[in-house]
Amino acid sequence: MDTNFPPPPFPDRFEPFPEGIEPAVPIEGYPNTWTHTPAQPLIRRPVTRTEATGPLELWRKLPCDESNLAVLGPGRMAQGQLMHMSGRILDEAGRPVRGAVVELWQANAAGRYYHPIDQRDAPLDPNFVGNGRVRTDEEGRYAFFTIKPGAYPVPVKDTWWRPPHVHFSVLGPSSLSRLVTQMYFPGDPMNEWDRILQSIPDAAARDRLVARQTHPAEVGDGWIAFTHDIVLRGRYATPEA
Amino acid sequence: MDTFAPVSQHTIGPFFPRTFFTEGDNDLTRLHAGAQPTARGEAILIRGRVTKEGGLPCINMILEAWQADAEGRFKHPADPEQHLADPDFLGWGRAWTDAEGHYEFRTLMPGGYDDPAGRRAPHVNLTVMGAGLMRRVLATLFFPDFTEANAADPLLVLVPEARRAKIVAVPEGERDGARVFRFDIHLRGGVEEETPFFED
Repeated sequence: MDTNFPPPPFPDRFEPFPEGIEPAVPIEGYPNTWTHTPAQPLIRRPVTRTEATGPLELWRKLPCDESNLAVLGPGRMAQGQLMHMSGRILDEAGRPVRGAVVELWQANAAGRYYHPIDQRDAPLDPNFVGNGRVRTDEEGRYAFFTIKPGAYPVPVKDTWWRPPHVHFSVLGPSSLSRLVTQMYFPGDPMNEWDRILQSIPDAAARDRLVARQTHPAEVGDGWIAFTHDIVLRGRYATPEA
Repeated sequence: MDTFAPVSQHTIGPFFPRTFFTEGDNDLTRLHAGAQPTARGEAILIRGRVTKEGGLPCINMILEAWQADAEGRFKHPADPEQHLADPDFLGWGRAWTDAEGHYEFRTLMPGGYDDPAGRRAPHVNLTVMGAGLMRRVLATLFFPDFTEANAADPLLVLVPEARRAKIVAVPEGERDGARVFRFDIHLRGGVEEETPFFED
């Protein structure tokens, strides 16, 4: 990977989150939201240098060369619908965030995670681990080659289902830009029933968590493709030269 | 200028991959696994337990730490003295909690710095994520060594006085020649028990 491009520009303005874009808790049917969410009011504080900065050389500590989740090794291809997943990481002014670390993880085609905590009675795929990490290029682009994840039931008394989704973790140039989110697939009826997605009050904000499918004519015959741009918190006060 | 709204946060969930972690991820003193730890400053260990309502342990919580170097500088363009920052110190680490809710970081004692908001006392910013937390939770750890600096820290003074001690780490002896500081994080409880958290 070419690591010679300059460090990312960093935001120096952080507005409060707009109304309705952050999840409303507790969530019915998700008991942990009742027991883990702080009960006391959060303390408002000024943004000092610690909050405005972040590690710019994180790619040296976290190797960012894992973009292919679908092929574990020679002749070891994952089961499922092969899928290309790409997009851009942007700031609130729409400028690309270059050099951001993007982590992706997901369930396999049967809706099971390669994780000791996931003991559900669904098949594991010996050729699918399901996590990758890349660094955005100069245009803020990321791309992964993977398979479409399956849905899975939430093991609570009144079971509900998580629709197919992909987890994203983005580490940008400041602590306040840190984002952990999930991405959904367009047109899946389960999206409307998902208690986690529906915990976002604002409909437009929910729509921004849904990827766009690329027309087959642009894709070719190897895989289906989706694009998904992710806007991090923060703005640059002055345009880049 | 167009404005784009930031993408909503979601829970990190229970399945953040173990396979994302490698040896030394929770060590802030090294740029990467193959690097020597920085020789500047005092190496310390930060240890603690993450608990939920009722004091029960939280398994597989993901914690990320970020702090200034031993002189209070950041290797970042937002720091006017970034050219003087410790070139061998990363200042970032990530850890996960075991079945008893325990986590650990290896780092060094950060320095304080002058900020437009006021003189910051030495501190470590901790982000906590996990199942049940739809949004990340932000805590700041202070050290008992700096009573005067703590009393003037522009963030610590915003915490109600009766709750301030909750975010000052507790000395817990030494291990491998490094001082150990204990910092427990109680996610939810009464005003007496819950860790003071800051707004995002």
